[in-house]
Amino acid sequence: MKNALTQLALNVQKIDRRHIQFVLALLTLVMLVLGAGAPEDGGHVGH
Amino acid sequence: MILLASILAGGLAGFFYARWQKHSWSIPPFRYLWLIFIAFLPQFFAFYLPATRIWYSDSLAALSLVSSQILILIFCWLNRRLAGIWILAFGTALNLLVIVANDGFMPISPGTAGHLVAQDTLQTIQEGGRFGYGKDILLLPENTSLVWLSDRFLLPGWCPYQVAFSGGDILIAAGMFWLMLTQGQPLKAK
Repeated sequence: MKNALTQLALNVQKIDRRHIQFVLALLTLVMLVLGAGAPEDGGHVGH
Repeated sequence: MILLASILAGGLAGFFYARWQKHSWSIPPFRYLWLIFIAFLPQFFAFYLPATRIWYSDSLAALSLVSSQILILIFCWLNRRLAGIWILAFGTALNLLVIVANDGFMPISPGTAGHLVAQDTLQTIQEGGRFGYGKDILLLPENTSLVWLSDRFLLPGWCPYQVAFSGGDILIAAGMFWLMLTQGQPLKAK
């Protein structure tokens, strides 16, 4: 258990700040196109 | 889905283009990204989150959509130096124009909507009514203002996923593709 926690801590430390910024920026771009666009696939109709 | 595909396709094309040019690829250097989060929030609650969208009246949902798209246009203006943002902004402006001209929602004709849902489901929606919990309203073409800007395009019939989209959506996808391809910088010949 202790080894697993140590391993997890080491893996978390490997996550670069730039990776987090990249993912956040990508998420924001998703919000940008979803907010700007208005396509309709009918997926929520009748539910 | 088609709009998300433009991010993926643009990102992949940009990555390989940058490698060909012997550069590294990164997301375009947008400024005021937090503004997009603020802009998207009203739409998230009004159209995307099932727990909240059922509580929205039509007028409040329309107000959320219009105010959100105005904020997105402000974001585009603040990032006007990035290559591709004008295409995206123009597409957003066209969508906003047709939405404002049709009581705050994107119009879709019964003929187009018939390709997305079953006929018996379609018959439960009256003309001028919301098309589910989305941004569209069902309107006959003759009752639609700026009908050529409405959700009137469909993917080819052989495509298993069907979606209706507007000319503005095409420009938004093209603008995002170009932004991701060029990282917001003008292309340089090698």
